[in-house]
Amino acid sequence: MEIMTLVVTGPVGAGKSTFIRTVSEIDVVDTDRRATDETASLKHRTTVAFDFGRLQFGRNRALHLYGTPGQSRFDFMWDILIRKAQGYVVLVAANRPNEFRYSRRILTFMQHRSRVPLIIAISHSDCEGAWTPENILVAMGYNAQKPAPPVVIVDPRNRASVAKSIVKLVQSAMQYTRSFSKAG
Amino acid sequence: MFGSLSDFSLGELFQVLEQGEKTGRLTIYSGRRGESQKDRISQTPPRNYYIWFRRGFIVAAANSLDNQGLSKLIDQRSWIEGGTSVLAPGFCNVNLPLGICFKSHGLITAEQLKLLFSVQVLRQVCQLFTLLHGRYHFDEKAPLAYPEMTGLSAPATDVTLAGLRNLKDWSALEDKLPEPDSAILSLVEGKPHLKLNQSELRVWEFADGTVALKDVAARLDLSLEKVRKIAFRLSVVNLAEEFPLLISASDMMNLSLDDEFVDDENNLFFMEEQAVKAEAPVRKSNSQEFIAPPPMSDDFLQELMRSLNNS
Ligand SMILES: Nc1nc2c(ncn2[C@@H]2O[C@H](COP(=O)(O)OP(=O)(O)O)[C@@H](O)[C@H]2O)c(=O)[nH]1
Ligand SMILES: [Mg+2]
Repeated sequence: MEIMTLVVTGPVGAGKSTFIRTVSEIDVVDTDRRATDETASLKHRTTVAFDFGRLQFGRNRALHLYGTPGQSRFDFMWDILIRKAQGYVVLVAANRPNEFRYSRRILTFMQHRSRVPLIIAISHSDCEGAWTPENILVAMGYNAQKPAPPVVIVDPRNRASVAKSIVKLVQSAMQYTRSFSKAG
Repeated sequence: MFGSLSDFSLGELFQVLEQGEKTGRLTIYSGRRGESQKDRISQTPPRNYYIWFRRGFIVAAANSLDNQGLSKLIDQRSWIEGGTSVLAPGFCNVNLPLGICFKSHGLITAEQLKLLFSVQVLRQVCQLFTLLHGRYHFDEKAPLAYPEMTGLSAPATDVTLAGLRNLKDWSALEDKLPEPDSAILSLVEGKPHLKLNQSELRVWEFADGTVALKDVAARLDLSLEKVRKIAFRLSVVNLAEEFPLLISASDMMNLSLDDEFVDDENNLFFMEEQAVKAEAPVRKSNSQEFIAPPPMSDDFLQELMRSLNNS
């Protein structure tokens, strides 16, 4: 089995679980939801468990998607992600400017530690108070000196839209693969 | 762009307007959303404040849209004989800042203009940083208010620095402050171009992305709260950015792990890696050593793309 591992991250409510559920062919365990359903004694689970989804294709190939849980700290979990993930989707809800800071933290953290392709996927663009992608990128600290990674507008509830953003990421992954084959 | 200052603070807003080199009018409404006259707590009635931006610079401020603010400031000082109202309508070109018009006619001096700008913009806007629950609206289509303009401008972040230094009540900014476990990383080459005060400079010395703010506080013998506020200031004026550090394994010791849920497919990922982790050294935060999982083959990616496009 040949597997590509993608990580879907972003603040709580950005649409990570929905994104994964929408492309996955298996039932997605929504770890955040499970935390509210079960007792408080299980609470710490949510700090270590990931949403998981899978898309099989070809004869022996699959895409695995992991969603980061909660508003997590940059602990060993992130260390695991950096080692494992072959691409990231950072989901940002356009209508929640109070979370831009947390998303920026994730981006800073990842971009200084990993060269793996990532995209910024802007969700909730249909909601009241949504910022434009342009302004969101400025709020994330991108400018002429610091160009942003590829950006897509996504509706995590819509399969075609989710597929389109993964395609965008896959395109970056192709360049990444080529940079490897050039180098080595 | 519109919303609540409790979600996106004035400092953050100024940062976006400056970095995005925006032109337009920012309206700040001091009341809460839907707040009516009778359930108001504060004594002063809510009101609007207006700040005009040109390519990210603040060019004017007023608390009314009557275009009379700057003229009133001049009249209060009796700088023009008989007051600005004696001037014929159309005396100044409507597309020229009033200050420049008056100066070119020798009615006021460059020094007086500077003073006017400082009263109109710096003093007025600095006070707005104390509005913790107001609402904002930025209108990129609003025209510049030339009758309110001195012709001078200030970078929005200069005003932010002053506004936040004087701020006493930080309650609304509490969850925006950089985390104690984060470091800060300089965003500029060499020395900061803004004039920093003593304690800001001391914290700035640590802007290399290696020392957690809680350790900066200990080393400088400043309170953690103070260091976090300074780090926030440095970040909203684009001198530095919050740089999250990987929380080291020793800090995580108190996190208990049970293996009862290893059977969940989604947790295998975690458990399997946890084993790897046991041997793996914890990297220093700012090392330029990038971690690179093996890339996928071109063939794999092509097939994935076809499958996604067909789905
Ligand atoms: N209107 C709208 N709702 C969305 C969008 N993306 C996600 N949602 C909804 O937002 C809620 C939170 O999504 P969820 O996937 O649980 O977020 P998570 O916390 O990141 O896993 C769900 O009710 C989704 O249906 C979007 O682009 N537009
Ligand atoms: Mg979720």
